Amino acid sequence: MIYVFALTIGYTFIKRKEQLLSSKRNLVLFLFLSIIGLVLGIIYIINPYLPSLTLYLEKYMK
Amino acid sequence: MIQTNREVTLRQIAFMYLFISLSPILRQIPTALAAEAGRSGYLSPIWSTIAIFFITAIVMVLIKTFPGLNIYEIMVQLVGKFLAKIIIFFYLLWILLSITAKINIYALTLQFTLMPQTRSDFFMIILILLVYYALLRGIKTIFRFSEFTLGPILFLITVLFICALTRLRTDYLLPVSTIKLPSTILASKNVIAVGGNIIIVLFFADKFGITITKNQRNKLWSGALVFSVLTFVITIFTFGITGADLTANLAFPFYITVKSISFFNIFERFEVLVTIICVLSDFISICILSWLLLRCFQWLFNLKQYQFLAVPLTIIIFYLTYYVSSTQFEFNFLYRYIILNLNLIFQYIIPILLTIVCLLRRKKIQKQF
Repeated sequence: MIYVFALTIGYTFIKRKEQLLSSKRNLVLFLFLSIIGLVLGIIYIINPYLPSLTLYLEKYMK
Repeated sequence: MIQTNREVTLRQIAFMYLFISLSPILRQIPTALAAEAGRSGYLSPIWSTIAIFFITAIVMVLIKTFPGLNIYEIMVQLVGKFLAKIIIFFYLLWILLSITAKINIYALTLQFTLMPQTRSDFFMIILILLVYYALLRGIKTIFRFSEFTLGPILFLITVLFICALTRLRTDYLLPVSTIKLPSTILASKNVIAVGGNIIIVLFFADKFGITITKNQRNKLWSGALVFSVLTFVITIFTFGITGADLTANLAFPFYITVKSISFFNIFERFEVLVTIICVLSDFISICILSWLLLRCFQWLFNLKQYQFLAVPLTIIIFYLTYYVSSTQFEFNFLYRYIILNLNLIFQYIIPILLTIVCLLRRKKIQKQF
């Protein structure tokens, strides 16, 4: 799935190049969010059985 | 891509509000009320009506005081740009968490009811594609869909209720003990946290235009009333057939309740329709929340266009769904202890604080508008 997402990001970048390059803020935000998304994906691929946030909260709150 | 320059009406918002409330009404509320208030739990929707009408009145006051302004613009007027951005940032996080939880429960519902062998990834990918396609058609399409579909759904629920009347067991509902009344009042927070979705109106407030007729306002009040009646009916229905003890221990008690209903012994298996209603309601909720998420980004970063954010946000939401919660038990904990309380903060406390500031600065505001 990560490859599909990476390709979609590339496609969006090419398709919306003018919109993204017209403002530095747009480009930075797009790249920042894309990197976060891809990092989350890579972590998931490396270890798909990572305990969820709720599990941590459950341990902490009980 | 995502069209935002079309107007919506309060009537459409009221329909959408009822539509997105359907899945929590059918899925979470009966279980929560049975667990917290026992057999008397079906009284909680009555107490919650007060809070829901109160928040509707607050929404009305804000719309009336700031005609044509959305929640962010109202916040800017009341607390300044810096604080408004901080609050919007927290709204953004809340919406992000709500979307991931919705996607999770949508996949779990389908696995629990119709397709237990299918992986949740499949449901999530299909949902994401559908949401993308729906947003591509514009937010108006989503409102229209809610408008057309809600009528048949309410009709179906009425038919189910009529069919179930003979199966209702009064010993499951009566007698109501006065000792349990305080717990029914406390348990009503489960209903209040869903009914508070009405504040979504404020996010769309810039789409209504400056003038809102009395008839339009009445539609929103009717929406709040129908929500309360529907919650009450569904809870009675579930408690009366399944019993509060069993309801408290089931993930989707209404589904089990409907399994025992038949239409004059001719038609049965209505539970499939209940699953479809929940799935449709979740789909609309995710569409609306996705649109709100994009709008929060727009307000937070002063973006003129925000369509390019759709793809990176989709990726984040997709993977975040695994990291937030992945099983039914985890979702139950997340909903009961985190989402419920966050809903109360973002749907009630913040709008109430804004209204207090609005009332304190009434004279200054009246000069501007």
